[in-house]
Amino acid sequence: MFQFLFKYPSAVFRKGQFVLLGKLPGWLLVVAMVAAAIGLALLIRWKLRNAAPEVRNWRAWVIWGIQSALVALVLFLLWQPAILVAELSSQQNIIAVVVDDSRSMSIADSEGKTREAAAVAALEGGVLTGLRQRFQTRLYRLGLELTPADGPREIMPVAPATRIGDNLKRLATETSDLPVGAIVLLSDGGQNGAGGGWGISRDVLQALRNRRLPVHTVGFGKEESAHDVEIEDVSIAASAIAEGRISATVSLTQRGYAGKKAKLAVRDGAKQIAGREITLAADGRMQAEPVFFPAGAAGAKSLTFSMETLSGEENLANNTMTRPILVSDAKRRILYVEGEPRWEYKFIRRAEAEDPTVQLVSMLRTSENKIYRQGISDSSELASGFPARPENLFGYAGIIIGSVDADYFTPLQQELLREYVDRRGGGILFLGGRFSLSDGGWGASSLNDLLPTILPQGRGNFHRNAATVELTTQGLNSPITQLLDDPAKNAQRWKKLTYLADYEDAGAPKPGATVLADLHAGRQKLPLLITESYGHGRTAILATGGTWRWQMSEALGDPSHDLFWRQLLRWLVAESPGPVVASMPERLLMDEGRVSLQAQVRDKQFQPATNAHVTAHIVGPQETDAFIDLTPSGSTPGLYETAWTAEKAGTYLAEVTAESAGGRPQELGRDVVTFQREDGVAENFHTEQNRRLLEQLASDTGGRYWTPSELKNLPGDVSYSEAGISVRNTKELWNMPVLFLLLLGLPITEWLLRRKWGVI
Amino acid sequence: MKCTHIALAILAASAGCAALWAQRTGDFGFGNDDSPTNVKAEFYWSRLAYSTNIASNFGGYGHRWRSSWSRDYPKADRQFLIAMHRLTRIDGRPTEQVVTLDSDEIFNYPWIYAVQVESWTFSEKEAKRLREYLLKGGFLMVDDFHGTEDWENFMNGMRLVLPDAEVEDLQSGDEIFHTLYDIDDKMQIPGEQYVWTGRTYEKDGYQPKWRAIRDSKGRIIVAICHNMHLGDAWEWADDPNYPETFASMAFRVGLDYILYGMTH
Repeated sequence: MFQFLFKYPSAVFRKGQFVLLGKLPGWLLVVAMVAAAIGLALLIRWKLRNAAPEVRNWRAWVIWGIQSALVALVLFLLWQPAILVAELSSQQNIIAVVVDDSRSMSIADSEGKTREAAAVAALEGGVLTGLRQRFQTRLYRLGLELTPADGPREIMPVAPATRIGDNLKRLATETSDLPVGAIVLLSDGGQNGAGGGWGISRDVLQALRNRRLPVHTVGFGKEESAHDVEIEDVSIAASAIAEGRISATVSLTQRGYAGKKAKLAVRDGAKQIAGREITLAADGRMQAEPVFFPAGAAGAKSLTFSMETLSGEENLANNTMTRPILVSDAKRRILYVEGEPRWEYKFIRRAEAEDPTVQLVSMLRTSENKIYRQGISDSSELASGFPARPENLFGYAGIIIGSVDADYFTPLQQELLREYVDRRGGGILFLGGRFSLSDGGWGASSLNDLLPTILPQGRGNFHRNAATVELTTQGLNSPITQLLDDPAKNAQRWKKLTYLADYEDAGAPKPGATVLADLHAGRQKLPLLITESYGHGRTAILATGGTWRWQMSEALGDPSHDLFWRQLLRWLVAESPGPVVASMPERLLMDEGRVSLQAQVRDKQFQPATNAHVTAHIVGPQETDAFIDLTPSGSTPGLYETAWTAEKAGTYLAEVTAESAGGRPQELGRDVVTFQREDGVAENFHTEQNRRLLEQLASDTGGRYWTPSELKNLPGDVSYSEAGISVRNTKELWNMPVLFLLLLGLPITEWLLRRKWGVI
Repeated sequence: MKCTHIALAILAASAGCAALWAQRTGDFGFGNDDSPTNVKAEFYWSRLAYSTNIASNFGGYGHRWRSSWSRDYPKADRQFLIAMHRLTRIDGRPTEQVVTLDSDEIFNYPWIYAVQVESWTFSEKEAKRLREYLLKGGFLMVDDFHGTEDWENFMNGMRLVLPDAEVEDLQSGDEIFHTLYDIDDKMQIPGEQYVWTGRTYEKDGYQPKWRAIRDSKGRIIVAICHNMHLGDAWEWADDPNYPETFASMAFRVGLDYILYGMTH
């Protein structure tokens, strides 16, 4: 119909440039139109005095409008309107027909046929023939790679992944010396690109735009499943501490099961380590569910997160997702400075004695001039008191400051503490006590800005009175305060915990700080456990020295006290970097092995080590064993990097070791990362047609999204492209049928109206 | 009718008194009075008032003619606390606290001291409470019992509390003798009877026995001073006739034991 009225396909108007071929300038047309409208208005107004009474009102202006439009149309035609459009030269251009052959194309949801069969049928049903009448065609199949195909029948949906972006970019690059006029992509849009990206990257679009290559996309498959639960993503840290607790967030969507209950389970191998029932959200809405579980023993693990299969689910393969994680049992040392003997000190030490991954090194002021040290590695450690040099302090992964006056630390040591958090990235925990926080003069010290609260004025804020504890909303979701897995039971457990022996008013939390627990003392409600990120590190306040009652007054064997302290101190040190921090942008490789490995290396003072020898030892499946050197990045001091290819699917471990350069190399440190290559899994997810991606790709490149039923116009539309060998054609518009209809229609409309009004 | 009114009045008065008592003592046992005995502190010198198998005249605790748990009480305790205040940074109450195994109140005092433990005995409930106290992290120091018979009697009570406990002799290098003072050369610390007898021992307890019971992690939970009387040494430290050497040693040992109990 469009082409009948407008003479040309819509593509001409979308892609063409409107011009006026008449010799007179365009602005004169506008002037003429305005002048004609004004002239007609004056004429009608002059004649209106003698006109019939029926048209001496708004009807006169309707007549003026119709007549003005008619005059304007005639003037428009006199100026010879036309469209300039680039059109591919016949038989001189190539159209690349790309068919998705990934496994998701085997889903039979296209009127009883598989998506692949529907695509092949569309090609054989006229699209290829239509294209070949005007162009040469080249057929490709697109999955993990882009491969030429001899004919549609050769294409089978077997590819383990769909790399639309990468392969289109490759097509644009490899055919740069060929007159490719357009790309026709037949796909379900199930892009699962490298690194788990689900969109088309900017550099791919740029490559297509550079060649002005329009991509016409043809979408196959249902856009929405009727009944399905899909895990979209699992967010989890790269590493965890052995025997600690891990928190992860599982993002999922569902259709057809809104409000129903389903079980979420976490497995380490065959063993289920966590599970809980969740209520499914509304159809299509992303739902994020936190889950907590024990890290277990040290080692590289592949954790499986799965949703229970519900009856009638269309796709069962997208209910499970795996994530690699490195559980480390490396001992992290925490320095605990205590200004007076007190029970809290004893019971913290006892709690940490059970933790194989944390070593508490403590210095306790037993008398004015005596320090009692525990957990030291040798007699020289802390022999001179609190460290005054960065290389002596920065080796600790965390610091606890108990009931100690701020003045106990020299200005140099205070600055060192600030640097410890800010630059080194360590964690400091401040405890309440007689000489703590405001009662220890910390509010007036240079370290005031380290604290996560604005301390109250003066002293006398520490009280040896009972206080009970209640978790805040943030505390309910914090791994520090998880005494029980079930959030509701956990909240209740905290409410029922026996009272604290004492408490301190820590003041108001600073903006950006998080209050995990409040204390109730009489009618007062005060923050008890407050955390904050500061620089590269973190600080926290536990405004009491009386949690020891949880150990002494709860039932024998109750784990609350020890568990809380282990979790709090693990939080304190978990993010503290070592001298070598190995990382990789992507730890989960989907159907590809390219991996880039980076290591940030620092010396004992935690300054970037620019002259180090850094190596990685990679072990993986089927006896994969490789040693590779990392080279300085050139952009960031102390950053070393390398690239490697994991050839086989499975879990890999990379141990990065840094040594100082020079005559007698000394080890600066080492770190381990784990990564995983998964083949053939990506196609299980996002199996619905991704129409949005296909539309966006077409729109961004100047092509168009097509449904299979519209394809008869595709060969004609493809012609209008600036890529390949094209000529710019002038399409005159004066003879468009729609204009003739208007020329006839406007006077007829006026005549009919006049008849109706009875003025003829 | 009149009797009923009187009964109701008595009941109301009793309830009022109970409420007042609860207000005074209901602050979770730490007290809320400013008197020296109710000063709030981190450390309370806690003397264990245990029951004996001999008829009592002190609320069920003690001998007919005297209370065995209260030997040297309270002077020894208070003199020791004076020394503790002068020599350490422990925030201790200047007066002692008497604790019993009758209630869970004992769990508020993680360090307790008991004397003349040859006469102690425990009901099943008391033994369970003391066992739980020690296994949760409490510390018990026992003192002032002498000779073979006293030892057997002490162990009879101890076996009710910790049936499988093994007693070991402490060595000079043990950490408990090095928390505040390094006590390498120890001596038998006699009671006040030394002043008029010149003997450092009592009964057949000729040799001092520095002993201990440990928990499964190797931490001392019961420190045993057998054939000695440190309490007397503290109590008579201001007596010119009692040798300063013994008193000094007793103070050093006591302080080391407290600091061990507060650090392990």
